[in-house]
Amino acid sequence: MNAIPPDAAAVWQALATIPDPEFGVSIVDLGLIYSVECDAGRVRVAMTLTTPACPSAGWMQQGAANAVRQLPGVDAVQVDLVFEPRWNAKMLSVIAREQLGIAAEA
Amino acid sequence: MNALSKPTAVGSLFSPARAKSPAAAGHAPVIGSSSSLAAQGRLPLAFMGLALAWLGAATVMLVASPGVLALSHGAPAVVALAHAWVLGVFVTAATGAVYQIAPVALGTTLWSERYGWWHFALQAVSIPGMVWAFSRWDMALLGHFGTAFALGIGLFATNTWKTVRRSGCRDAVAWSLILSSGWLLLTVLVGLVFGANRFWRFIPLDPLALLRAHAHLGLIGFFLTLFQGVTFRLVPMFTLGDVPDWRPVRAGLWLSQLGLLGLAPALAWRAEFAAAASGALVLAGIIASSRALHQTLATRKKRILDPGLRAFVSGSVMLLIAALAGCALLWPGSRGGSAPGGFNAMVYGVLVVMGGLLPVIAGMMCKIVPFLTWMRAYGPKVGRVPTPAAGALSNPRLESSALGLQALAVAPLVWGVWTRNSVWLGAGTWLLATGVGLFLVNQWGVLRHLRPASTATS
Repeated sequence: MNAIPPDAAAVWQALATIPDPEFGVSIVDLGLIYSVECDAGRVRVAMTLTTPACPSAGWMQQGAANAVRQLPGVDAVQVDLVFEPRWNAKMLSVIAREQLGIAAEA
Repeated sequence: MNALSKPTAVGSLFSPARAKSPAAAGHAPVIGSSSSLAAQGRLPLAFMGLALAWLGAATVMLVASPGVLALSHGAPAVVALAHAWVLGVFVTAATGAVYQIAPVALGTTLWSERYGWWHFALQAVSIPGMVWAFSRWDMALLGHFGTAFALGIGLFATNTWKTVRRSGCRDAVAWSLILSSGWLLLTVLVGLVFGANRFWRFIPLDPLALLRAHAHLGLIGFFLTLFQGVTFRLVPMFTLGDVPDWRPVRAGLWLSQLGLLGLAPALAWRAEFAAAASGALVLAGIIASSRALHQTLATRKKRILDPGLRAFVSGSVMLLIAALAGCALLWPGSRGGSAPGGFNAMVYGVLVVMGGLLPVIAGMMCKIVPFLTWMRAYGPKVGRVPTPAAGALSNPRLESSALGLQALAVAPLVWGVWTRNSVWLGAGTWLLATGVGLFLVNQWGVLRHLRPASTATS
């Protein structure tokens, strides 16, 4: 029996379980996930990194694909690493700001 | 089901139902395949392991005879101890870090992993032999081991240059990698020539003056040049900051290069005024880099610095203080010299090595060892099972205590050297040894995550 393909919310939830290795904050709360597209079991994620020189880039990209692939009903996953627009602190969630001790106006 | 992950963004493959506004595809760094990712970190981690072993051994050497620090800096025991610390600990850790940092900072891959492993083997064999040869003052033996060490550094420099060339980058970070590896190779070759000169006496210059020139080629040429570049990739990355102005970074780098070009020959030929002027240029370079570091830290979003970064920054400040002390010693007519006791070259040496290099390198290791361990132990598991952050692999309290005790040891060591007082030297040595012991315990705790059993439950 084929599982029901996941919606974007389920994909976001799966990605939120991945912590950034340097800051220990979820990559969703860090604002590293730019977009999620779902279409009949095919999922495409656009993500970035806090810096293009991030040494864990490969693992984060592959980890995001792993997390999505574990969802029932997923047939294909594509994770694109993009650097435009450049990541900035305004992309942090309130939770991430609290975890990192960042002032709200930063 | 196949993963379609690619290092660069591609056009839409299907009609999207976007959950957020789209991001345009942009430049992406080189991301390896699964197999190349699995190999990542092994080489630098091996260097870090070797550096940690040397940190223990060099500390044991110091604890065994703290009185060595009260001798002249030309004494064989001092030269042996200095090479155990500088080559065994600092050069091993720094070259290992370059194998990790250079490819990611330049957005490329290491030119040759095989060259790196040959370098590792040569370094692992040659440094113990060199330290032993110095302690016995056996120049023939030193020649053999020194040649093996030089071969390893030659491979390192070639690898670094080829990696930079492949990247096409020519910014301050790339130049610091090109220059520092070149200076390191030159330092080792000059050291070999000076060692041979002790045997055959073909250079009609004071061997102690040559030793000072050799030491500064390494300290300024390799360590300072490397810090003046890679700091401005690493600090923004760890603090969510930015480099607001690259001009002081470039100025710091080039002023130190200019200063060193004058300082090394001036020290060798005992040209007092030229040495003082060149030393002032190096100092100006350090001040420019310190200003750039201050500006960079001011932009950080992560306000609280972790213990490793605090040690790195405090070590950088101590390097500035040590440079001031060095300039005071270079001042024409300065009474400081090679005789033991008082404000002399040994006081300066302890400030540089224990006050500056140790916290900078140890602080860097507090960041890089957990991260390399994380990559190997947890990287392949990301997205499959819950994984910890790299920083969670170490014990912050142990780390802070270790680095704090190492910093506390500097004052009694400097005072002990200055006054030739064995009580202060003993107290400083034991403080340092306790700090190093805690540091090694913490690092061992991090490395234990590499055991398969420890990661299975995470």
